[in-house]
Amino acid sequence: MAKLEINQEKITDLSELIKICPFGAMEEKDGKLEINSACKMCRLCVKKGPEGAVTYVEDQKAEEIDKSLWNGIVVYVDHVDGKIHPVTYELIGKAKELAKKISHPVYALFIGSDIKEKSRELLHYGVDQVFLYDDPELSRFKIEPYTAVFEDFIQKQHPSAILVGATTVGRQLAPRVAARMKTGLTADCTILEMNENTDLSQIRPAFGGNIMAHITTPNHRPQMATVRYKVMNAPERMEEEQGEIVECSIEKDKLKTNVEVLDIVLKEKEKFIESADVLVVAGRGVKKEEDLLMLEELADLLGGQLACTRPVAENGWLDAKRQVGLSGRTVRPKLIITCGVSGAIQFVAGMDHSDQIIAINKDEKASIFKVAHYGLVGDLYEVIPQFIEKIKESQGA
Amino acid sequence: MNILVCIKQVPESNKVEVDPKTGVLKRNGAASKMNPYDLYALETAMRLKEELGGEVSVITMGPPQAAQVIREAYAMGADHGTLISDRRFGGADVLATSYTLAQGIKKMGDFDLILCGKQTTDGDTAQVGPEISEWLGIPSVSNVRKITEADGQNITVEMDMPDDIEITRIAYPCLLAVDKDIFQPRLPSYVRKTEKADTEITMLSLDDMDDRDETHYGLNGSPTQVQKIFPPETNHHRELWNEESSILSEKLFQKVKELKFV
Amino acid sequence: MGYKRLDEKDLMYIKQVIGDDERILYGENINEEYSHDELSGTQSYPDVVVKAANAEEISKIMSYAYEHTIPVTPRGAGTGLVGSSVAMEHGIMMDTSLMNQILELDEENLTVTVEPGVLLMELSAFVEDHDFFYPPDPGEKSATIGGNISTNAGGMRAVKYGVTRDYVRGLEVVLPNGKIVEFGGKIVKNSSGYAMKDLMVGSEGTLGIITKAVLKLLPLPKKAISLLIPFENLNSAIQTVPEIIKSKAIPTAIEFMQREVIEDAEEYLGKKFPDHQADAYLLLKFDGNSAEEIEADYDKVAKLCLSQGALDVLISDTEERDESIWKARGAFLEAIKGSTTYMDEVDVVVPRNKISEMVEYMHNLHSEVDIRIKSFGHAGDGNLHAYILKDDLTEEQWQERMTLAMEKIYRKANELNGQVSGEHGIGYAKKPYLNESLEEETMNIMRGIKAAFDPKNILNPHKVCQL
Repeated sequence: MAKLEINQEKITDLSELIKICPFGAMEEKDGKLEINSACKMCRLCVKKGPEGAVTYVEDQKAEEIDKSLWNGIVVYVDHVDGKIHPVTYELIGKAKELAKKISHPVYALFIGSDIKEKSRELLHYGVDQVFLYDDPELSRFKIEPYTAVFEDFIQKQHPSAILVGATTVGRQLAPRVAARMKTGLTADCTILEMNENTDLSQIRPAFGGNIMAHITTPNHRPQMATVRYKVMNAPERMEEEQGEIVECSIEKDKLKTNVEVLDIVLKEKEKFIESADVLVVAGRGVKKEEDLLMLEELADLLGGQLACTRPVAENGWLDAKRQVGLSGRTVRPKLIITCGVSGAIQFVAGMDHSDQIIAINKDEKASIFKVAHYGLVGDLYEVIPQFIEKIKESQGA
Repeated sequence: MNILVCIKQVPESNKVEVDPKTGVLKRNGAASKMNPYDLYALETAMRLKEELGGEVSVITMGPPQAAQVIREAYAMGADHGTLISDRRFGGADVLATSYTLAQGIKKMGDFDLILCGKQTTDGDTAQVGPEISEWLGIPSVSNVRKITEADGQNITVEMDMPDDIEITRIAYPCLLAVDKDIFQPRLPSYVRKTEKADTEITMLSLDDMDDRDETHYGLNGSPTQVQKIFPPETNHHRELWNEESSILSEKLFQKVKELKFV
Repeated sequence: MGYKRLDEKDLMYIKQVIGDDERILYGENINEEYSHDELSGTQSYPDVVVKAANAEEISKIMSYAYEHTIPVTPRGAGTGLVGSSVAMEHGIMMDTSLMNQILELDEENLTVTVEPGVLLMELSAFVEDHDFFYPPDPGEKSATIGGNISTNAGGMRAVKYGVTRDYVRGLEVVLPNGKIVEFGGKIVKNSSGYAMKDLMVGSEGTLGIITKAVLKLLPLPKKAISLLIPFENLNSAIQTVPEIIKSKAIPTAIEFMQREVIEDAEEYLGKKFPDHQADAYLLLKFDGNSAEEIEADYDKVAKLCLSQGALDVLISDTEERDESIWKARGAFLEAIKGSTTYMDEVDVVVPRNKISEMVEYMHNLHSEVDIRIKSFGHAGDGNLHAYILKDDLTEEQWQERMTLAMEKIYRKANELNGQVSGEHGIGYAKKPYLNESLEEETMNIMRGIKAAFDPKNILNPHKVCQL
């Protein structure tokens, strides 16, 4: 049992020591220091406090596991009805990089129904083995049977690390599997690195992205991590196939479930600009109402929505609900492209927390360039049509 | 209908900074509040109770002052509350936290439905709910954006997927993690707060659990270890491109491609 | 009055003073927005817009304009509602929005010195970063501080903290003849002659152009809690307001809102309000140094409201909860605007104990005049905003019914010893109503003051008291 021991006589300044704890877990009781259950065992008090005042004591050494018995890095194949989610390829790319460092194989785990043909696609991305559980009972994601299959796979293959896309399915399945295997799972990792001893260094944001934490799973296997879409880079698709498909099966009685998928329907387009990942904003630089069609096309191509500034809404060209700014809506998309927007404070206050801000404006002195990560001094009527063409070309190719 | 909602007390503000030199976390004030995402779970529970009858309980794990969020849940309409608090639970990661909560839930009794928020604003993992369901051996569905039907046996929900909506029927008992905005949460009521002022909060410690093995809780029961914390790189980067339109459109395309939007 | 129309020669002079063509807009380059303000329906283009950078430039142009009898209209962010910043006689528009520097935070005297173009939102963010508080809180946060001073803006914290005038310590002003003078200063007390500084506050750019302001600050309250109080109907809500005031509890704000306006805001924002049980609500805000201190404060008020028939008292004590309420409150004006084709507003203020009578009168007026009227406002300080909506009326019907409704509202306010404007000003649009509500002698003194400052009537003509 590891715990913190307090040596009261070594405490020089009680209130100074209490201040060190970021979680407010230390308090004074009758002139003595106590640690309450807000303690997160970050051990800052051990490191930053007076020498010996708080010590970290481990009574018994945790049982060491034999890490050499756990081999391979597996990527869970995220899909709906066999249509593979691109985060899968990104994770395969990462898995290959990690596996190379420790000379492990890369696996893919594909669970579904009637997916054998589709699994061949994975062979173009350089996995060593695709483990295929193809069963009508597994046609759609249901938490219990999918967990059972995952467990079956882990027990047979003993992978060292498991990467799962932080999609709707991945974010439910991974924790369920982690709890079943009684192992660690780190959510939404942004950086993954492999150590020589096969421990995975997992770096993730916490507190709404205000701090980063470096996490390891030193004494448990498999070690599990989820990663969001568009964080890692997918490898180039190879012409030839490489690796093999391993067909697996599981006893029918393990596939029982209390969940019934009634239907899968295509999601309607996001109605509100607040929930869009990408926004294209029309500003005063847009001369005519019909020119909005061009910007709408761009928004569609980027899977986003068209928004506007106050003058455009006041002209009646777009609904007031699409207006960004203090008297409109506050948005925080992943990407915002402003077109002919000057950047009045009224507008900027409604969007300046966007992840990536790209601004196009003819006027080099426009105040939008003070907030834009990438500012393009140019005519939107020239830049946008060419940009649209390039996107179309790339998508056609 | 017996509904349980898992809630958590979190810092009022996410504004934490790491001193780049010392690596020490700096918090702006110690004020705390109920995890905002839990308000949606609580509101969902209240609506189901209004429709189907029954009772709503809440459970939280934390220091003694976390009783405050149970009082708040009472003011929003919860009937019973349990606080799991023990120094020996300190330093718990997702696995140990979900295990502790599951142990506590077993002590509280049988529930038809357990509701969780999407995630917390401090940990941000969205994993504790699904792990609780595993420990309890019940099915779970996350990203619930809408409840389309609920009766005494089953609940039908819409699960929000990247491009689709999966409509799923689950038999009780089960656990649902609901999305933000499933319902607009109600405000705490002064009247209710006054009425419930004397309602007790059940306290549970390690000694009350069925499993009293200390190595399953807190830091010892946590497979993951935080090696260090550090400040994120901030995006102060600014570039101004003043060139021909053809060059601009090419640079724009390359940038948007690099950012993975095409 | 014979004004000289701006010509090439005048423009040359202006160009020479400013020395930067980018700060001068002329002819076709003048954006449409410079021809009107936010709401008043008044439209007139200036001949030239000058974006001044300092008091000296303004001084030089003013003395030239004075010499040549060219009209000058000062302007900030253009967010006014009554046409104060519209150039009725064309001429020069003096835009001070580029003068947007915060010059000094004086922690010893608890003052901040600013240029007029600083936006209200910038000012409050700046002082709050330094643990100070600038209490005036009008809904339009992108207004300039110069504009706020010119209309003596009030806002939502007036019940406890007063209005802009209470926070102006000193002003630097360019007079119509171009002379630069200072009124007041960092001093806390002042009995030295007429209250020139207070005369400038609320003068809507008719007496001088503000080029610098010394503002008073308070220590920042650490915590605020709002109470949303549902009532069966508007009457019982409004009738509780005088009781709250009588109870000597001091909330920073007492607002009232009705279901239909809330529904407009929900539609406009695409976001649900956190409560739907009632037809009418009071919204109170309390501030202080800790949650405990504030809870002790509001407890008495909560009990009082319940005894007056409130259905409940709902507590908003976090940022998310506050946002779900106050964001809706902040969107009322735009939401009502979005619910109709065109609208006009009244901004009457009555003694606080007459508030329920005034609200009920307005509420019942639609049946009398057959026009849709929506209202909300600062019930705690007696200041009511009512919006008269055009909807599908023909222009003729609209003019007739709107005028009738306005006259009736102002007459009622007068009867209750109220005033024409609480915080939006008189400008161009509300002059007839001011003329009617004040005594002839008072109007004459006002005109005399105007003449003393501006004998040639070149600064913002046709506004406030000039017919």
